[in-house]
Amino acid sequence: MKLLVPLKQVPDSTMRIKVAPDGKSIVTEGITWSISPYDEYAVEMALEQKDADPSTTVSVVTVGPVRAKDALRAALAMGCDDGTFVTSDENAAPLVVARALAKFVEQKQPDLVLCGRQASDDDQGFVGPALATILGWPHVATVTKFAPADGGIEIWREVEGGHEVWKASGPALVTVQKSDKEPRYASLPGIMKAKKKELPELALSSLGVDAAAPKIEVVKMETPPQRGGGKILKAADGDAASVAAELVRLLRDEAKVL
Amino acid sequence: MTPNSEIWARLLLALVFGGAVVAFALQAWRLYRLMRLGRPDAERFGVYAQRLRDELVVYLGQRKLLKRGYVVRGLGHALIFWGFLVITYGTADLLLAGTLGLRMPGVDTAAFMWMVDLFALAVLAAVVVALVRRRFFPPPRMIVQLDGYIILGLIGLLMVTLFLFEAAAVGGKLFAAGAPVPPLASLIAPVFAGPSAPAVFAGSWWLHVLTVSFFLAYLPRSKHLHIVTTLPNVFFRTTRPRGALRKIDDIEQQEHFGASSLRDFTWKQHLDGYTCTECGRCSDNCPATSTGKILDPKMIILKVKEQLLHEGDALLAAGDQRGASPTDETITAEELFDCTTCGACVEQCPVTIEHIDKIVDLRRYLVMERGEFPPQAQTALRNLERSGNPWGQAGPSRADWAAGLDVPTLADNPEAEYLYFVGCAASFDGRNQKVARALVRLLRAAKVSFAILGVEETCNGDPARRIGNEYLWQTQAQATIETFGRYRVRKVIASCPHCFNTFKNEYPQLGGTYEVLHASQLVAELIESGRLRLRSDGALKVAYHDPCYLGRHNGVYDAPRAVVTGTPGAELVEIAPHDHERGFCCGAGGGRMWMEERKGERINSRRMEQVLALEAKPDAVASGCPFCLIMLEEAAGTKGVRERLRPLDVLELAAEHLETEKS
Repeated sequence: MKLLVPLKQVPDSTMRIKVAPDGKSIVTEGITWSISPYDEYAVEMALEQKDADPSTTVSVVTVGPVRAKDALRAALAMGCDDGTFVTSDENAAPLVVARALAKFVEQKQPDLVLCGRQASDDDQGFVGPALATILGWPHVATVTKFAPADGGIEIWREVEGGHEVWKASGPALVTVQKSDKEPRYASLPGIMKAKKKELPELALSSLGVDAAAPKIEVVKMETPPQRGGGKILKAADGDAASVAAELVRLLRDEAKVL
Repeated sequence: MTPNSEIWARLLLALVFGGAVVAFALQAWRLYRLMRLGRPDAERFGVYAQRLRDELVVYLGQRKLLKRGYVVRGLGHALIFWGFLVITYGTADLLLAGTLGLRMPGVDTAAFMWMVDLFALAVLAAVVVALVRRRFFPPPRMIVQLDGYIILGLIGLLMVTLFLFEAAAVGGKLFAAGAPVPPLASLIAPVFAGPSAPAVFAGSWWLHVLTVSFFLAYLPRSKHLHIVTTLPNVFFRTTRPRGALRKIDDIEQQEHFGASSLRDFTWKQHLDGYTCTECGRCSDNCPATSTGKILDPKMIILKVKEQLLHEGDALLAAGDQRGASPTDETITAEELFDCTTCGACVEQCPVTIEHIDKIVDLRRYLVMERGEFPPQAQTALRNLERSGNPWGQAGPSRADWAAGLDVPTLADNPEAEYLYFVGCAASFDGRNQKVARALVRLLRAAKVSFAILGVEETCNGDPARRIGNEYLWQTQAQATIETFGRYRVRKVIASCPHCFNTFKNEYPQLGGTYEVLHASQLVAELIESGRLRLRSDGALKVAYHDPCYLGRHNGVYDAPRAVVTGTPGAELVEIAPHDHERGFCCGAGGGRMWMEERKGERINSRRMEQVLALEAKPDAVASGCPFCLIMLEEAAGTKGVRERLRPLDVLELAAEHLETEKS
């Protein structure tokens, strides 16, 4: 089985993000970049299949600036077979990314494409479904498990209180949900091997994609408002009943949870 | 005896004893070849004066057997051992005289005879005690095996036959008139004074030398082999500081990491296995074993040895085959990651076995080669890699603890005398931020010139190294050494013993050599010299908990105590008998800080019980380590004793008593 996982490199979730003085971007200085968490789950899900059937190949691809190569290396270190780097500007429009990936998928012809359900930086969840649409492939969202089955692929997706099982007969695209299989820790031999691997580079133009259309501009960016501190009710004269009454009042009138 | 029969007797003895020597040699040769499956180990050579001294103190002097808590048992062993030395000299004489007719010098003196008899009696008594103990009161973690009984039986038999043939010789007047005779045997000699004396003499004499021969032939397959292997095992013990793990050189060029096979241990690590006597002192003192975890340090040593004895011959024959790692076979990841690397096992082992190195080598294999280890430890290492601290806090918030204190960074003040390396715990953990602030107050009060790295500080790598990711440690350490180099750092203060240990003992492996002080050392000195003036705030009994990486690993026992005793009004309470070198770990070392503890009793809970059981009823329990503080706080909270037994750091204790601060 041929699997392909498109990756996005995002600021690591432990980073404290600051808006740059231009008000339209983030400060990238001092940021550690990582594979977007859902994409990492997608890599893990693909590698589980490779563990079960060693004839499986897992390819990764990313569209991004030069630093995004590190994301590919990290995925290779986890055990992926090959990685392809498609050069673009910072913040390429999601549709541009989807178009570029579609061209790449046509060249690579995988049996299954696994995308993370959304990237942790912009949370748009756009590229996966858009890629399926461009390709004209079936798309199953929030997938937690898949396995080859008679004449196709069985796909489990999470729904409220249970799961559905789908079956895809031809190539398909899934977007991956967090599952209990935590992404594996890269072994040192894996890291060393990944360092030495060639990463073929493609330009957007060589894939016939116009980097400038559509053009998206961020108009304004701001951090969420600071959360106010908690409120502590004090029983100044040891009267628990009046504190309780005040608490009920606050919960009803201010928090509106009662 | 006729000359003819004497020649036959000599031949027979030569044959019996010669056979035993051959049997011993063949087995010993096999063990040696198996041992050499291990890698070469350069750190075992050099510093010979110290090695000889160790040999005198640890082997001949039995120093590590006579440790606190083991004095009586240790003395029993020492008597058997010293008796063995004296009596072996006599045995050598016996065998020489019996075969070649030569005598060892001094054996026919009264002094030597007194020594032999007194030791023989002492050994006999010790053997009886050991047998009774083994049979009726076995220590909890002793593996009672036939081997132990065989050995004790053989030793007992040797002493009994010794007395018998001595007494028969005296009774039968086989000694030249006027020559010194064995004094104690003489007391029972009249029993053998009859005509049967020569027969009793011959019978017991032959039984004695047969026992000696059997003993020799049996030795290599017994744990009793330690009487031989302890000699080299002590001699070749590591000269690395206790707190330093072994560096993997040229790590990027290696094909295998850690103990991926028996071949990846060094020969000395296999010698450790041959030397283990299964006494169980390591297990007795292990915080994991004694709170019901799977880990038993003794079993780690024995399982590796068992595998070597079972698979070693095949590996020797196969030449280049690597074979399995012990973690693939008998040792589970869980037991390896139970270890807090507290060093109690290494501290207590009478024959200088290095347990932590073996455990870490096995962890290295699981972490670096296989990527299979507890998920929480994976998260800690991922955090460390990505955000520079194992908690995954945002790096730029590292100096937030110092808000409002106006603490200079080295960038502001490159001329500062000391770099205060705050460490991740005091940077990000709310409780320990107070300790960092306390230290700043102390340093200010004493007018010490210092600065911090601020947001340029990252984890020095210690958790990575202890968990088994040597590569990540080297990366972090090199980055830190570069940062230090940029500011020409020479003197470092650390309030965290893990930072302190790593800088002091491990950074030199990468070329980073600094004058490193634990904050308590500096503060103790400042109090002593009068630069810090503290005032009394009423009487306070303070129990002191020894952090493993300050105490056992670095021998810093006195300085933090001096901070307590130097604080007016404070009275130091020892958590006896678990103080100083017998300090009981808080449970957070070796990367355990970031792993859940689900099995058995919680280690910090046990530690808190020990403090609560003190008759002195301390008001506070002080430590000198942020991890210990977190663990003590948690245990005090769980037990609901925080009100009457306040966990704190000795630095906070001192800072609260500063003259310049109001109570």
